[in-house]
Amino acid sequence: MLDVVSNIKNLVEESFNASARSLQGCHYADIRIDVSDMRWASAEDGKPKGAGRDECGSFGIRVIAGNGKKAPGYYGRIFSLKDLNNINSLIKEGLVHAHNRAFANSIKKERLTSTFERFGKSLWGTELSPTDVNRDTVPAVCKTDPRTISPQDILLLAEDTSKRVKGLSGIQFNDITVYTQSMGELFASTDGALIDQYFTYTQGNVYVVAAGKEGHQELYEYIGDQRGWEVISEGVNVQGVNLLDFSKRVAEDALALSDAKPFRSTEKEVVVVTDPYFNTLLSHEIIGHPMEADRVLKYETAYAGRSWLFRNFNENYLGKQVASPLITTYSDPSLPGYGHYVYDHEGTKGKKVMHIERGILKEFMNSRQTASLLGVAPNGSYTATDASFVPLIRMSTTVFAPGTSDPKMIIGDISDGYYLWGMHTPSISESRENFTISAIKTYKIHRGEIKELYRGGGVSADSMSFLMSVDAVGNDFKIYPIANCGKGQPMQTKRLGNGGPTLRGRARVSGSSGK
Amino acid sequence: MISLDILKKIAADGLEYIRTQHDILDAEIFISSLSHLLCRINYTSHIPCNGIEEPKSTLSYGIGVQVVFKEGNGKRTGFGNYTGDISVEGIKDSIEKARLSVVEDPDFYGLPAPSEPPLLQPEYHDKQLMNIGDEELVDLGWRGLTGSLNTLNDHDISESVIVGGDISIIQERMALSSTKGIMAWDEAAYASASITTMIESDNAKGSGWEIGMKLGSLAPEKAGKDAAMSAINSRHGRRLPSGSYKLILGPQPVADLLGNIVLPSLTLSVVDAASSTFLKKYGRMVSDRRISIRDNGSMRELPMSRRYTCEGLATGQTELISNGVLVGYLSNNYYRNKVLNDPSARDKIGADTASIEKAFLPHNGFRPGESMMRNFMGRPSIVPTNVVVDASEAIDPDDLIKVVGNGIYIGRIWYTYPINGLLAGDFTCTVIGDSYIIEDGKIAAPLKPNSIRIADNIHNLLNQVIGITAIHKPVILWGSPEVIYSPEIAVYDISLHSIGE
Repeated sequence: MLDVVSNIKNLVEESFNASARSLQGCHYADIRIDVSDMRWASAEDGKPKGAGRDECGSFGIRVIAGNGKKAPGYYGRIFSLKDLNNINSLIKEGLVHAHNRAFANSIKKERLTSTFERFGKSLWGTELSPTDVNRDTVPAVCKTDPRTISPQDILLLAEDTSKRVKGLSGIQFNDITVYTQSMGELFASTDGALIDQYFTYTQGNVYVVAAGKEGHQELYEYIGDQRGWEVISEGVNVQGVNLLDFSKRVAEDALALSDAKPFRSTEKEVVVVTDPYFNTLLSHEIIGHPMEADRVLKYETAYAGRSWLFRNFNENYLGKQVASPLITTYSDPSLPGYGHYVYDHEGTKGKKVMHIERGILKEFMNSRQTASLLGVAPNGSYTATDASFVPLIRMSTTVFAPGTSDPKMIIGDISDGYYLWGMHTPSISESRENFTISAIKTYKIHRGEIKELYRGGGVSADSMSFLMSVDAVGNDFKIYPIANCGKGQPMQTKRLGNGGPTLRGRARVSGSSGK
Repeated sequence: MISLDILKKIAADGLEYIRTQHDILDAEIFISSLSHLLCRINYTSHIPCNGIEEPKSTLSYGIGVQVVFKEGNGKRTGFGNYTGDISVEGIKDSIEKARLSVVEDPDFYGLPAPSEPPLLQPEYHDKQLMNIGDEELVDLGWRGLTGSLNTLNDHDISESVIVGGDISIIQERMALSSTKGIMAWDEAAYASASITTMIESDNAKGSGWEIGMKLGSLAPEKAGKDAAMSAINSRHGRRLPSGSYKLILGPQPVADLLGNIVLPSLTLSVVDAASSTFLKKYGRMVSDRRISIRDNGSMRELPMSRRYTCEGLATGQTELISNGVLVGYLSNNYYRNKVLNDPSARDKIGADTASIEKAFLPHNGFRPGESMMRNFMGRPSIVPTNVVVDASEAIDPDDLIKVVGNGIYIGRIWYTYPINGLLAGDFTCTVIGDSYIIEDGKIAAPLKPNSIRIADNIHNLLNQVIGITAIHKPVILWGSPEVIYSPEIAVYDISLHSIGE
């Protein structure tokens, strides 16, 4: 069915561009189409719960129009494969709505500009920064095509894995959900871009509840990668583990934690060592999100928040030190995993974006519009969860770069401190200037050795203070998938990648309320 | 949007087809057409901007079919769906997908039988809202923005201004038919305006929101004005040191804590998974006796009211907590039957389930997806509708501030998470705006946004209550379909951590 994308691309381009050019005051238009085939199954406590398959398509249209100040308008919808004979007519209908909205938006913008002398000054005519006009086809990378796997195959694996987890003494409940998906995307614009890209995604979710001496412990974790069925069956993924082994590890951790005492918060800052899995959430929350130019430019003030790195064009940290010289961070869509792609959803080739280089703030992820506002080149960071949604500035794979230290030495040098392993939950200030991120496991470090295990511990710190405090960066760089990053309105849940090496810094270690 | 007549006809024709299939014991056809129109605001006085950034919509429609197949002497169930095609052919395709993905689920006890007739009469929604045009949508966004800018202009504030948020309109139509004798249909629409205004140089942030069932009565300009006034009043906020404080939680924080911690723990599927913080608590005190919480999906004037659930059952009221005692759970037909037939459920509920059947009313079997409740792509899960928090011995809001004496009024929080899973009840969230320091029984000064994080346990919060107001302010949480009607609740001895110093 993904052949659909390559079959319709020339027809869609021709028809879309001709229709867009005929619209009054239309300066630019683009269309994104995607077609997807997804298969899934789930099992709970060793019992089959469900399985299924869905194929569908969606498209989204952007128009920038207006006789005065230009303004944007959008339209999105789903379609079925049976609509393909009629796709051009559906697209034309959508184009009219997007254009009506853009044109009405432009008129209102002009009106408000004249109503408010002071407020009207910042209302601009929408501009997109120039980007290369790309025409390309990008195939998916996978060994076992998801379309060759039936829902019953998936169910068998989920059921078997769930049964084995259930067999571990102390496990009270488990749920195993697995899906595998193929996707084709098309992008065409009135600038002349025409790009079709193909992807495969496969993921296994593991949820367990264990009971032990200290009560119940629940854990939810997943493996996933941008590949085929081999992600689950053979462990060909960025984590390097198959579903069964991964599920057992999660269950064993839940059991160990159910016997562990809750961590009580430290009053003062202490030495903390955080592992690559914990640093996956750390890089996501305090590096990736505040580096998104839509947050930087305040678009997300009402929702996902702003960025502490940029108050305005005069007050910001660009070119200034925000982290220890040992810290380098970047987003790179060429890395493997969920964050991999070649072109973003406005046809710009994805580039490695250097955020912090040896402690100095360098560059934000952007879109063509925000690049125009910031006076920089687009770096290909504008993507949507599916084509019916408006793209947002999103992380590809955002990471801490590897250092040179042996992780064993990073711990071995410490007389007293804590080692935090695995990502759990975040609590973040609105501009990401401060955070509490809890770990799956917290260990006491004493005289260079890992000692007692606690549950419920987490790192609490001001973002800049923590980044400045880092005095060791490991050589054990690793990437993990993030399956559910929420952003936008309506909220779009997106897959992307994060990671890094072991880090050592100073922070408070927070724990249970202690009441 | 596909017309309701077409949805009803295809649901009925599909059922006729199913009756000709000899290997099908039972089946349920669910068809829906959904649209979400949204006008997203982004105004910045100090950065070039569009004012209205995204006037947009997403449209989807399709079929979901749950089928019980005969297999030897037993039965197996399957679910199949077809996106973007509402026709008998689409139903046939969905049945084939169901056939290819059957499971033998021992916890499935059958499709629901017809319920009592719905409490809501047809055509309770606003036809204007169901048929809004492109220009009207754009106009709503600019009205919301203008409401904020007019207010700021009146106060001679024009620098460092940010206005964000959106006007959102949800349109839903559904039809459901089943071999058990259910023929249900429904259409609903509602609108909301949610606006945030900042005076960034003063670290001042304010919120305003409106929810309406009728286009004519929706006033986005009022949400804009409220947000601007709140920002104006919260300029130059003060910090407070870490410690234990008396707090008044405003409607948004009450809703946020309910939506992220309390309601999931009152959801029967979560209790069944042994991960609720109210495990084994049925019939026991779980909160202060002045707190009662109910879910009601059948009151005409409330936005999330519907005639039928997505299992074709009449909606209604479910008492969850009554005068502090846990008396009921949010449930659907599947989990109700599972819990009533599972001997181990007693250990999770804390009571003999057969004797408390009314605690598991199947009023909440909806199919959530992107702020909506009628997603044809999946089987029904459990979704709250209109959640109402009632107070006995309610106190006037001004009196509540006097009773607290010294403490903090918390108006807006975010990133509310259970720290170590729902079960433990520990949570954390950050105070991001609309908050004030209370001294000597009066609002003394604004609290600086992003300077305080709450880290405590939900059981402390529910039980250390000073007083509750009688207001019922509707709140929609980002990414959630339910609307929570929240009072202000004052609590004592809650742990706060000073952050970002």
